[in-house]
Amino acid sequence: MGAMPEIPAIELVQPLPGFPEMRRFALVQVDDDGLLCELRSLEDESLRFLVMSPVPFFPDYAPEVSDEVVEELQITSSGDVIVLLVLNAGTSLATTTANLMAPVVVNTATLRGLQVILDDPTLPLAAPLVA
Amino acid sequence: MLVLSRRVGERVVVGDDVTITVLEVRGDVVRIGIDAPRSVAVHRAELLEQLESVNREAASPSDDAVASLSQALRSRPDKS
Repeated sequence: MGAMPEIPAIELVQPLPGFPEMRRFALVQVDDDGLLCELRSLEDESLRFLVMSPVPFFPDYAPEVSDEVVEELQITSSGDVIVLLVLNAGTSLATTTANLMAPVVVNTATLRGLQVILDDPTLPLAAPLVA
Repeated sequence: MLVLSRRVGERVVVGDDVTITVLEVRGDVVRIGIDAPRSVAVHRAELLEQLESVNREAASPSDDAVASLSQALRSRPDKS
């Protein structure tokens, strides 16, 4: 569950906060299961972010994105959309955290992506994968 | 910094297409409404600062960190 497709080039409609110059990333599988992936910058080869599907560790996670985001990513079908949690890697699952407040949402039909800041103050920026 | 006094219901216009309306003032909480085009990102400043910092911490983990995490995911007990 939670395997991700590989995508050679995703265009961020707005850059990731903290990385204003970086707009283009590839989604690449890191492990054989396709569970752990990375967003690899196409503009700076030393820059990458570990990401994964919310499904394995946060099965109830169901982010609601605004109409503005839907328009900006040109989403016409929810089946085209993948949600990626940005991970801050620790050495174990308990010390690795996922950003639930701001997932990266990608429209696989238009290859547009955006780190969406969700309007829900209860969502953590750093949730441990396992308690 | 430009400083203006506004009453509830009054507005401030920034540039051609951003309008900020004071909706409610209660104690030390001010509710404001912002009308801006989609290309203008509007966020609470402290949240954006936290996100920048979390993103920077997450950026470019070492190969070792990636390998141990990958190993931990493979061997997790509840793997489905």
